[in-house]
Amino acid sequence: MNDASLRASPWPARAVGAGSLVALVAIVEALLRAGVVNRFVIPLPSDVLAAIPRVVAEENVLRRFVQTTQEMLWAALLLALVGVAAGVALHRYRMLKLACETWIGAFAAAPIVLAYPLFLVIFGRSAATIVAIGFCAGLPAVILKTTEGLGATRAVLVDVGRSFRLTPRQQFRLILLPAALPTIFVGFRLGLIFAMINIVGVEFLINFGGLGQLINEMAERYDLPGTYAAILFVVLASVLFFDVTERIERWARRT
Amino acid sequence: MFDVGARRDVSLAPPPRAAAAAAPLLDVAGLTKRYVTRDGTLTALDAVSFGVAPGEFVSVIGPSGCGKSTLFNIIGGLVGGYEGRVAVAGASIDGPHAAIGMVFQEESTFPWRTVQENVAFPLEIAGVPKPERLARAAHFVALVGLAGFERRHPAELSGGMRQRVSIARTLAATPEILLMDEPFAALDEQTRVLLGDKVLKIQQELQQTTLLITHNLTEAVQLSDRVIVMTYRPGRIKRIVDIDLPHPRDSDVVGSDRFGRYVAEIWHDLREEATRGIEDSEAQARRGGPAA
Amino acid sequence: MGATDLTPAAAATGSDAGDPTRRQVLALRAAIVVALLVAWEAVSASGLLFRDVVPSLRSIAAALMRVLAAPEFYGHLGASASEVAAGLAVGGALGLLAGVVIGANRFAADAYEALIHYLGPTPKIVFFPVMIMWFGVGAGSKVAMAAISCFFPIAISAAAGMRAIDGVLIRVGRSFGARPWQMATKIYLPAMRAPVRNGLRLGLGVAIIGTLLAETKLSNRGVGHLVIQAYSTFDMPRMYALLIVVFVAAIGLNALIGRGERRPR
Repeated sequence: MNDASLRASPWPARAVGAGSLVALVAIVEALLRAGVVNRFVIPLPSDVLAAIPRVVAEENVLRRFVQTTQEMLWAALLLALVGVAAGVALHRYRMLKLACETWIGAFAAAPIVLAYPLFLVIFGRSAATIVAIGFCAGLPAVILKTTEGLGATRAVLVDVGRSFRLTPRQQFRLILLPAALPTIFVGFRLGLIFAMINIVGVEFLINFGGLGQLINEMAERYDLPGTYAAILFVVLASVLFFDVTERIERWARRT
Repeated sequence: MFDVGARRDVSLAPPPRAAAAAAPLLDVAGLTKRYVTRDGTLTALDAVSFGVAPGEFVSVIGPSGCGKSTLFNIIGGLVGGYEGRVAVAGASIDGPHAAIGMVFQEESTFPWRTVQENVAFPLEIAGVPKPERLARAAHFVALVGLAGFERRHPAELSGGMRQRVSIARTLAATPEILLMDEPFAALDEQTRVLLGDKVLKIQQELQQTTLLITHNLTEAVQLSDRVIVMTYRPGRIKRIVDIDLPHPRDSDVVGSDRFGRYVAEIWHDLREEATRGIEDSEAQARRGGPAA
Repeated sequence: MGATDLTPAAAATGSDAGDPTRRQVLALRAAIVVALLVAWEAVSASGLLFRDVVPSLRSIAAALMRVLAAPEFYGHLGASASEVAAGLAVGGALGLLAGVVIGANRFAADAYEALIHYLGPTPKIVFFPVMIMWFGVGAGSKVAMAAISCFFPIAISAAAGMRAIDGVLIRVGRSFGARPWQMATKIYLPAMRAPVRNGLRLGLGVAIIGTLLAETKLSNRGVGHLVIQAYSTFDMPRMYALLIVVFVAAIGLNALIGRGERRPR
C-alpha cells in the first residue's frame, strides 16, 4: 500500500481516469468508423451524443424523470413510516426482535424483485406495482438499521436518563431517538437506494413508468443510439440521487 | 429537586451556611453487595457504613476493584439487589432519588444538543418553560466557566469542557446531594487540578453536599472535608480521614506541608490495598482467566 | 429496597431481567408462521382478492410437488445456476482484481474509484439491451448481466478490505523483506478473507437477481423464464411454487456463505 504521508493532489489521477474513459470512447468511435466493429452491436458514440437532445425533446425526459421521482417519493414515505415504526417495535419488544431479526435479514437477501409478476397480478401494470416493489426492497434495511441504532445507544447516556428519572416515553423521545437518528438515517438512505434500483429496474421490465420504461421503449424500436442515450440518462439520474443523498447523510451525521 | 419555589434560589447569592445537622443528609448503613458469577459468589461491598453531612465534601478513594463504582451505582439508585440501607434525609431510596444528582465518569453529554440545551435538560423535563429554563441554564453554564459557549455542540469542545457541561447539567437540577464518579479520570493532570479547583469553588458557593468517587489521591485531599479509604475486594471501609485544611482552598494548597502529610497518610493505607489488587490480578492471569 | 438486580442500562433499553429463552423465541417464531399461514388460507378461501391471486396452500403445495418432480425443471435450474456461476466467476475475478488494485494504489483509487462508487448503485438490468446486442439472446447475455451485477459489490468490498489491513502487518512483512508475491499471498490475502467473503455474499445475491431478471425479460431457458411463463398462463400456484424455490435457494446460499464467516473466529 502506498504510504502517502504527504497526501498528493488527486487531480492528476482524476485527469488520468477521466482521460482514459474519453480515450476509450474515442477508440470505440475509431474502430466503428473503420468497420472493425459492427455498428449493430455498438452505435457510434457520436451518434449517441447526437441522440441525446433528440431524445430529451421527443421523449419527454423531464416528465419521465418526474414520474420516476414521484414513485420514489411514495416509496420513501412508506419506508419512513412503516420501516421506522417496525424498527422501533422490534427494539421495544425484545422477544419480537430475537424472533424476527434474522428473518428480516434473510428477506433482505431474497430476490424480491423477482416476484414482480406476482405484484403485476395484484396491482396491475401500474405505478402501484412499482412503488410496492421499491418499498419491499428497501424495507429490511430501514428496519434493521433503526433497531440497530436504538440498541446502540451508549449505556452512559441511558444512565443519565435514568438518573434524571425519565419515564420510558421520555427516555425514548429525549435520548434513544436522537442518539439513534444518524444510524436511522443511514438505514433510510440504504433503503432508498435499494428502492431506487428496483423501481427503475421494474419500470424497464414491465414497460411502464418513467425513465426505466424509456430504455425499454428505445430498445423495442431498435433505436440503438436512443437506447444508449436513455441508459445514460438513467445512470446520470441514479448517480445524482446517490450523491445528493450521500451529502445529506454526511450533513445529518454532523449535527 | 425541581421545586420551582426552591429552597435554594438559583440565581442569587449563596445562601447562609447550613448548620451541621445532627443527622447526615446521606446515610449509608451496612451496605453489602454480592454478585453471583461462574466462579462463585463475589462480594463487591461488605458492610459499608458512612454518612455525609449537609454541605460536606466527602471523597471515597480506593484501588481498582474496591467496589467504588458499585457504590456509586447503588447510591445513585441504578443498581439494586443489595443488603443494607441507603437513605436520603432519613428516607430509604428506591431507585434514582430526586435529591441525588449523578455525574458519570464517561463522556455523557448529549451530542445532538448544544451546551445550553444540555444543561437545560433537567429543567426541560421538569416542565420549566423555555425562556426561563434557557436563562437558568445559562447561569450554570457561566458557573462552570463556559460562558460564551452556550450555542456550541459538545463535539466542538475539549474533554474537560464536556465534563464541565455534564457537571453544569447535574447542578441545574439543584440536587441536594451531588454524586460524582471519577469525573476527571479522562483528563490530564493539569486540567484536572484546575477543574478540581473550580468544582470546589462552586461547591463552597452553593454549599453543595458532595460525594466524590475517585482513585486520585491528591484530588481527594485537595477537595474534601473527609476522605473514606476503601479496601480491595471485598470493599470495606479501611479508614476515614478528616482533612483539616482551611477553607477557602485552591490548588495552591497542593504544595503545603500538611497537604503532603495527609497524602502520605492515606497513601500508606491505599498502597497496601493497591498491592493486594495487583497481586490478585496476577494470580488470576496465572490461573488462565481474564482479570475480573 | 434493592428490588431487582438491574444492570444500569438494561431496563431502559427494553429488556427484562433475564433474556427470553431459546425455546420461547422458537415458540414465538412458530406462532408467527402458523398465524401467517392461517391468515393466508383465510384470505384464499374468502375470495377477497380476485381468484388465484391468493391460491390455497394446498394448491401451492401441489404445484411445488409438480415443479420439483418434473425433470425439465432441473434443466432450467441448471441453466440458471450455471449462468449465475459463470457470471460470478467473471465478475468476481475482475471485481477482486479491480478492488485490490484500487485498495493498494492511491493513484488508481483517485482515478477510478469514483466510477465504481457511483456506478455501483445503478440498476444493472437497464444495461440488458446492450448485453443482448453484445452477447446475443442466449446464455451469454445472462452471464454478462450476472457479471456486471456482481462486479461492483465485490470490487468495493475488496478495496475496503485492502485498506482495512492493519498497517502494522504490512510493515512487519516489509521489515522481513517479503517480496510482492509473498506479501500478496501471505499477508494481503489472508487478511482479506472476511471482507472478500462478505463481498461474495452480496455479489451472489445481485448475480442471482441479474440473471433471473434477464431471463424473465428475454429467454427460453432458466428459472426466470419459467416464472414469466407461469405469469403469462396465469398459473398462479405454479408461479408461487417457483418463487418459493428461488427464494429458498437464494436465502439458503446466503446463509451458507454467512456461516462460513463465523467459524474461523
